[in-house]
Amino acid sequence: MRAAMTILWDSFRLLQAKKLFWIALGISMLVALFYASIGFNEQGMTLFFGWKEFENPLLRQGQPEAAAFYVLLFTDVILKFWLAWIAVALALLSTASIFPDFIAEGSIGISLSKPVGRLRLFLLKYFGGLLFVALQVTVFTVIVFLALGWRTGEWNLTVFWAVPVVTFVFSLLYAVAVWIGVWTKSTLFALLGAFLMWGVALLGQWTESFLYQAAHLVPESGIEFDYRTGEQVEKDSVEKNSAAVSFHKTAKAVVTPLPKTRDCTTYLKRLIKMKERDSLLAGVTFDMLLSGSLPDPRMAGAMKRNDERHSFWYVFGTSAIFEAVVLSLAAWVFCRRDY
Amino acid sequence: MDGPAVEIEYLKKRYGSFEALAGVSLSVPRGSVFGLLGPNGAGKSTMIKSLLTIIRPTECRGRMLGRPIGDRATLGKVGYLPEHARFAEYLTGREVIAYSAGMTGVPVRETRGRVDRLLETVGMKAWGEKKLGTYSKGMRQRIGLAQALVNEPEIVFLDEPTDGVDPEGRIDIRKMIEGMKAEGRTVFVNSHLLGEVEQVADQVAILSHGKVIRSGSVAELTGTGKHFEIRTLGPVPPALRERLESAGIQVAGDRIGVPAKDAGEVQSVIDALRAAGIVIRELKESRQSLEELFLSAVQGARQEGGQP
Repeated sequence: MRAAMTILWDSFRLLQAKKLFWIALGISMLVALFYASIGFNEQGMTLFFGWKEFENPLLRQGQPEAAAFYVLLFTDVILKFWLAWIAVALALLSTASIFPDFIAEGSIGISLSKPVGRLRLFLLKYFGGLLFVALQVTVFTVIVFLALGWRTGEWNLTVFWAVPVVTFVFSLLYAVAVWIGVWTKSTLFALLGAFLMWGVALLGQWTESFLYQAAHLVPESGIEFDYRTGEQVEKDSVEKNSAAVSFHKTAKAVVTPLPKTRDCTTYLKRLIKMKERDSLLAGVTFDMLLSGSLPDPRMAGAMKRNDERHSFWYVFGTSAIFEAVVLSLAAWVFCRRDY
Repeated sequence: MDGPAVEIEYLKKRYGSFEALAGVSLSVPRGSVFGLLGPNGAGKSTMIKSLLTIIRPTECRGRMLGRPIGDRATLGKVGYLPEHARFAEYLTGREVIAYSAGMTGVPVRETRGRVDRLLETVGMKAWGEKKLGTYSKGMRQRIGLAQALVNEPEIVFLDEPTDGVDPEGRIDIRKMIEGMKAEGRTVFVNSHLLGEVEQVADQVAILSHGKVIRSGSVAELTGTGKHFEIRTLGPVPPALRERLESAGIQVAGDRIGVPAKDAGEVQSVIDALRAAGIVIRELKESRQSLEELFLSAVQGARQEGGQP
């Protein structure tokens, strides 16, 4: 226990010493403050603590849509772009060097000559690296939780799902960086490997999402799409294109073993529960609320099915398997190597 | 506990077809300073790293502090300063020592006191709160020594501890090694600086091409080349010189080298010189230095191995 605390404390010191950690934390605070500055009045939405006003028929003080919009702003914009993209990228840049530096000649010997097993040492060092994102997201989410309570009167503890989910997303990529870093002893290769895996995983998820829309969402919304002319026709009932369904199935099978970085953050919307939103606003997107319009029930139903097409097991289970495999490879290299 | 601190029966390490350690065996007595000597690439660091589980030996039989080599719990009683030690630049000297304390399970309540004492011992009290990035090489080595001692180890492995350290720092490190010995610790020093090892080591082993080619106490090893040197006033006359040389004594001008273990064996030579009316102006006992021993041993090993 003493050794474990020492390694984790050392990881925390390492983070403190990284400039990027403080830059990312500073930007996080600004984004969270910007979020807290959004409010609602009788006419619509206000920005910068009431300095700017935007009229909106749906987003008015006391309306459930306003509360839902506030949560959607967190899950669909801030979390999706800032936490799941920029903060994770900055974290990767900061942490990719942890293992190559740790296993460098003259450095690793001191830790390996202590009565701590190699596997334990590896795992503790790995979890120490996750602190970078876990701390950032925790601070950020606390501000969001307070802002949400202040603006909507609902103290919603489910927003804290963001901490484990975003940390998990980061851990999927960090595992790749660790594996390549331990294998090649190079920070550059570790970074390239992690970003490449991220790109491949995103490409796969985008493709699957696009094919789902073509195969299921569009026909379920009552839209017939002519792929040759690009024409759209609204109908009462539209039959699904079997070729598109088959393409989607294949794409899903191909994507299954990959880490679901995008799908994990999308799944957060389902984990962050709001009484009003879940019953009234199923299938309503952030853009719809911002423009003050609501979709017809059929499209809303199709959108809801689109949002909920993946199971928890598919999103998190297969990603966890990916992480376990990559981490096992990294641990194997770390434990078997002569230093 | 009785028995040697380290008893290697057989230690072998291969990297593909290259044999870094070719079945080494040696014994390090408890409470001694043991010097492991050898040219670059002889396998000195590989041996230490094998004992400390940093390298996985191909084959290893032996015991360290009474437990099989590789036993993880035993490593809690061991201190280690690696060659070219690299500590995290973001840590202060105090934090580096505290990290080692934590890794070896030193209780938190004891750590602060031990770190203070060690900073004082290695002469870094004034620098303890400064980041390692501001330290000189010598300062880093001092902190390295301190972290190796924080768990009050029974055996300390020092791999080239004076490498890159200035002469004053080397003297300090030598004194620290003597201090460790005085505290009853076993010190295992890897070095290619023979003069320094000779001054502190009780026992040495010379490693060449992965094999121990000589080992024993410093006195024993340097004593094998013990001789007496006589200087005369003027050259030794040819007739006497011939007689002496035929008895295995070396004569060169006014210098006579007599291989002998004690002074009694030299008396007959003195008598012969005095009988011939030769004036003796100097008589001294000479030992082979560790450096001479090292060079002859390594060259001998090279010739045996067919290398130039």
